[in-house]
Amino acid sequence: MTEPGAARPLLDVRDLRVHFFTGAGIVRAVDGVDFAVQPQETLGLVGESGSGKTVTSLTLLRLSPRPARVVGGRIDFEGEDILTKSEKAMTGVRGKRMAMVFQNPAYSLNPIYSIGDQLGEIVRWHEKVGRREGDARVTELLRLVGITDPGARLRQFPHELSGGMKQRVCIARALLCNPALVLADEPTTNLDVTIQAQILDLLLELKDRFRTSMVLVTHDMGVVARMADRITVMYAGRICETADARTIFRSPQHPYTRALLESMPRVDHSYARDDARRLPVIAGRPPNLIEPPTGCRFHPRCPEAGEECRRIMPEPKAIGPGHTVSCLKRGSSGVAA
Amino acid sequence: MGITRYIVRRLMFSVALVLGVSVIIFTLINAIGNPVEILLADRPGITQEAIDAISRYYNLDQPPLIRYFVWLWNVVRGDFGTSIVYNQPVGDMLFTWGLETMKIQIPAILISLVAAIFIAVTAATRQYSRVDFGVMSGALLGQSLPGFFVGIILILVFSYWLGIFPSYGAYSTRRMLMGSGLIDGLWHMVLPVAMLAFFNTATLTLLMRSNMVDVLRHDFIMAARASGLPERRVVYRHAVRNAFIPVLTYLGILFGLMLGTAPVTETVFTWPGLGFLYIQAIQQLDYPVIMGETMIITVMLVTATLLTDIAYVLIDPRIRLE
Ligand SMILES: Nc1ncnc2c1ncn2[C@@H]1O[C@H](COP(=O)(O)OP(=O)(O)O)[C@@H](O)[C@H]1O
Ligand SMILES: [Mg+2]
Repeated sequence: MTEPGAARPLLDVRDLRVHFFTGAGIVRAVDGVDFAVQPQETLGLVGESGSGKTVTSLTLLRLSPRPARVVGGRIDFEGEDILTKSEKAMTGVRGKRMAMVFQNPAYSLNPIYSIGDQLGEIVRWHEKVGRREGDARVTELLRLVGITDPGARLRQFPHELSGGMKQRVCIARALLCNPALVLADEPTTNLDVTIQAQILDLLLELKDRFRTSMVLVTHDMGVVARMADRITVMYAGRICETADARTIFRSPQHPYTRALLESMPRVDHSYARDDARRLPVIAGRPPNLIEPPTGCRFHPRCPEAGEECRRIMPEPKAIGPGHTVSCLKRGSSGVAA
Repeated sequence: MGITRYIVRRLMFSVALVLGVSVIIFTLINAIGNPVEILLADRPGITQEAIDAISRYYNLDQPPLIRYFVWLWNVVRGDFGTSIVYNQPVGDMLFTWGLETMKIQIPAILISLVAAIFIAVTAATRQYSRVDFGVMSGALLGQSLPGFFVGIILILVFSYWLGIFPSYGAYSTRRMLMGSGLIDGLWHMVLPVAMLAFFNTATLTLLMRSNMVDVLRHDFIMAARASGLPERRVVYRHAVRNAFIPVLTYLGILFGLMLGTAPVTETVFTWPGLGFLYIQAIQQLDYPVIMGETMIITVMLVTATLLTDIAYVLIDPRIRLE
């Protein structure tokens, strides 16, 4: 989807397919996904839980968990194909050129090593520096993520930090080697609401300071509204719509994007009282990915679905500058599936 | 709480526990009756006067309460009494026979620990593969084999057929193997150590594998991979150490009970260790030996448990003493 004249994307994912080969059948968790990330851009990857966002992110680092296998597609990152690199070459990409912030800070730090120990290990490994230089780098990063008295924190253990602090440490860990791309997988989902905003602001600030690109994975339209330059909407292992953030919010085209936006709490609605817990949700259940719906995967829950949506799987179609949508009702072509 | 205060409190508790065990074992032995009468009852020609004289010699004519405190006072002074069967000081016997037991137990525990970690890591990192399945079935089967069966197989194969290792004793009685006492001793250790290590390895492997499988599922393992650390380092530095923490307790028990847990091995290989001695002592109601050995085993277990708790504090920063 590179626009004419645009710089070559930092990350270009084409027709990526990742399937889980389980006893119960083949789970088509990621089934033909395209997106690109430009240098210094934040791409919001949005979709309901179970739509394949985490599997996609892990696959970008070539860490999709067993029994998953990449069964098709390309991942070009900094001009090289991630999927054909040797395992040894990948250890030079992970943490150094592309890093990840995980969903649950409570579990993503090793409980038995001090902060300085586990972050220092990464710097020493990638930068081939000694302990003193490594510690200096870790201290600097801890200071940048807003941790007070970073020198003393080096000796602390994860259980001595609050959830928000842990996530700051995880962000520091991701930025240790100045990566070109940070994958943030629901970085605020497991935090208190008050802390969420702080962490999001921190990510924005650091992204500018480090001139990093970011893939921000979330199920929360509110989060991408605040953070993303462009947004890719994912449903049941496929991409529904991609556009710049303003377009997604002003004129969403895919019925699923519209449904997601309608399910978003708005400031102009008065959700303040007991309505707060009864946000509108999208009718129907997320599909079973072992036997996904035929045709368009969203058709069973789609208010606009017609007879052809049941038979034909829509392909992405450019309908405006940088705006693609996969919907037969919006002019996509497709193949019977 | 300071570690010194913690240790002092634990030591006081340990002393109480050891005393409690001594009272129980003393009461049990007394409930059986006068060992001299029981042992000599069927001997033809033994007179009541002789039995009384021998009983007096072993203080058995005194009331039990007095005898317990006499025994306790002597133990505090380092005197465990005299073996009825061997007519030797029990303290010396516990020391020499205990050393023989440790000689096979300590290498067996260490060898099985290293082997179990290696095998468990191999299996857990290939969960549900054929290798994993093979390791699991092997360990389960190994764990459930009767001890003497494994011992006999070892003797059959390595002593009887191949003639490599001796099948009994801790030393050669006549000519030393290769003319060296050290090599001779080591050579005799091989089969008993192998038998003990076999069972330890089976149990430790199962324990370690399930912990590894558990730890490998955690996000911090994925995070370590995502940070670019090579898989070997992720597994050995980040996963094994976490998976090892619950194994510490089991290891503490292995060490703590080691003096008393090798009777089958020591019997099969006629190894002059405490397990062998214990069985003999019970069969022949050699009560000073029974009492002394029970005490030593209890003290060892209590000490090992204390050391295990201290090791936990050192290895797991989340644990605080209380
Ligand atoms: N270990 C696994 N075995 C089988 N299926 C899995 C496994 N992990 C994830 N999946 C499938 O992949 C799909 C996508 O999961 P995920 O990427 O975690 O979703 P998201 O991050 O969008 O919530 C899920 O619907 C799930 O069915
Ligand atoms: Mg997820």
